[in-house]
Amino acid sequence: MKNNKKALTVGLLTLLMCFIAHTGFAQCASFAKNVGKIKLGEFVHDGNYNATVLGAGDTAELYKTFFANQKYRVAISKIENLPNIHFRLVDKENNILFDNQEHDFTDVWDFTVESTQMLILKLKVLDDYDMETEITQGCVAVLFGIEKEKKKKKKK
Amino acid sequence: MRKTFLLVSKFIFTFIIAISILSSCQSSDKKKNNEQTELIESTKKDVDPKMMEDFNKSKLIFYSLPSPLETAMLIKRSGARYDEEILNPIGNVTNYNTNLKMALNLGVYSADLSYTSLFDQTQSAIQYMGCAKKLAEGLSIIDAIDENTMKQLEDNMNNRDAVLEIISETFMTSNAYLKENDRAAISVMVLVGGWVEGLYLASALTNGSMDNNKRLLDRIVYQKLSLITVMNLLDSHPENEDIQYLHGKMNELKAIFEQVKIVNTSKVQSETDKENRVTTIKADSETQISKEVFEALINKVTEIRTEFVS
Repeated sequence: MKNNKKALTVGLLTLLMCFIAHTGFAQCASFAKNVGKIKLGEFVHDGNYNATVLGAGDTAELYKTFFANQKYRVAISKIENLPNIHFRLVDKENNILFDNQEHDFTDVWDFTVESTQMLILKLKVLDDYDMETEITQGCVAVLFGIEKEKKKKKKK
Repeated sequence: MRKTFLLVSKFIFTFIIAISILSSCQSSDKKKNNEQTELIESTKKDVDPKMMEDFNKSKLIFYSLPSPLETAMLIKRSGARYDEEILNPIGNVTNYNTNLKMALNLGVYSADLSYTSLFDQTQSAIQYMGCAKKLAEGLSIIDAIDENTMKQLEDNMNNRDAVLEIISETFMTSNAYLKENDRAAISVMVLVGGWVEGLYLASALTNGSMDNNKRLLDRIVYQKLSLITVMNLLDSHPENEDIQYLHGKMNELKAIFEQVKIVNTSKVQSETDKENRVTTIKADSETQISKEVFEALINKVTEIRTEFVS
C-alpha cells in the first residue's frame, strides 16, 4: 500500500515536471507579445512569431527576405536575467552588414534595402553569465516591424 | 502492489518518451536543405573562428516568410488598386473540413483580410476576420480570434493603424499557438496558404500584363527568394502527408521560378546612420523574366490557388 502511494507520488511529480517544462515554451508567446512587440514602437509587427528558449552561449539564425523601399525594424527581446544578445545581419556571402556589438549590443535597429535581398540575422546569447542568478535559460524573441505608410498631408 | 508500481512506471516512461518526441518537434526547424547548406557554407569565409565555432555548436534556424500583412503592404505600396472580385469568397468558408484545407484557407483569408483592411474596406474586413475566426476554431486554435477580437475590430474600423495591430496580433497568436502546441506542420500550412494568396493577388492585379505596373511585377519576381524559405519550411516536416502534397505543388512553382533571373550586379554593402539608428543595405540588382515565363508563372499560381480554395 505504502509503495503504491510512493509510486503514485513519483508519477504525479514527473507529470508536473513535464508540464512545467512544456509550459516554459508556451510562455514565450506571451513574452513576445508583451515584451517584444512594445520594442517595435510605431512600426507594425509583421505578425510572424520567432521565439524560443535559449541559454547563455546558444546561437540561432533567421532567414528573411528584405524588400526594397520598405523600412524594417528588428527588435530582439530576452528575459532580464539572460546576458546580452550579440546579433549580426549578413548577406549570403557572409558580408557583415550590421553588428550590434559596435552599438553597445543594442536590441532594436532599423534597416532599409535599396534592392530586395535575402539576408540572415545571426544571434548569440553571450556567455558572460552572471553566476549569482540561477536562471540558465529563457525566452528570446526576434520580431520584425514594418514602417507604416506616412499619412498624406491634406491639401488646403 | 508490484503490478501497480510497474503500471505507473510504464506510464511515466511512455509520458517521458512522448514529451521527448514533442520537444524534438520544437527543434525540427533545425533541419535544412542543400540550398540552405550552401548559404551556410558560404558564411565560413571571412568570419572570426570563435564566432563560426559558436554557430556550428547549435543550429536553430528560423525561416521568416513575408506575412500576409507584409505582402498586402507590398501590394498596396506598389500602387495596385483594390479588386474585391479576386478574393476568396466568404461563402467558401463552410467548404473546408480537413486540417489541410482549414489551415491553407486560414492563411488565404488572413491575406484577404490584410488586403481589404489596407484599402479601408471595413465591412469586408470584418467578414474576412469572421472567416479566419471560423477556421481557427475548426483547427482548435484557442484564443487567437474570439468575440473580443471581433468587437475590437468593429470598434476600430476607422482607425487603420489599430486594425493592422489587431490583424498582426491574431496572426502571431495563431502561429505561436500552433508552434508551441507541437502542431508546427499546421502552422507551415497556414503560412504557405497566406503566401500563395499574396502571390495570387499580386499576379491577378497585373491583369496578365508585364507593363501595367513595374513595381508590382518586381514584387512578384522577388518572391523567388521567398520560395526558398517556403521550401525550407516544408522540408522541416518531411513525414507529414499534407506537407508532401504542398511540397509537390511548390516544386511545380519552383520549376518556373528557376527560369527567372535575379542577379546582384554589385557587392552588397551597408551604410549605418548612428544618429538615426538605421542601416541602409546597398546593392545593385537586376531581374530578368520573359513574357512566356511570366505567363507560365501567373497560370501556375492561379492553378495552385484555385486548388487551395476549392
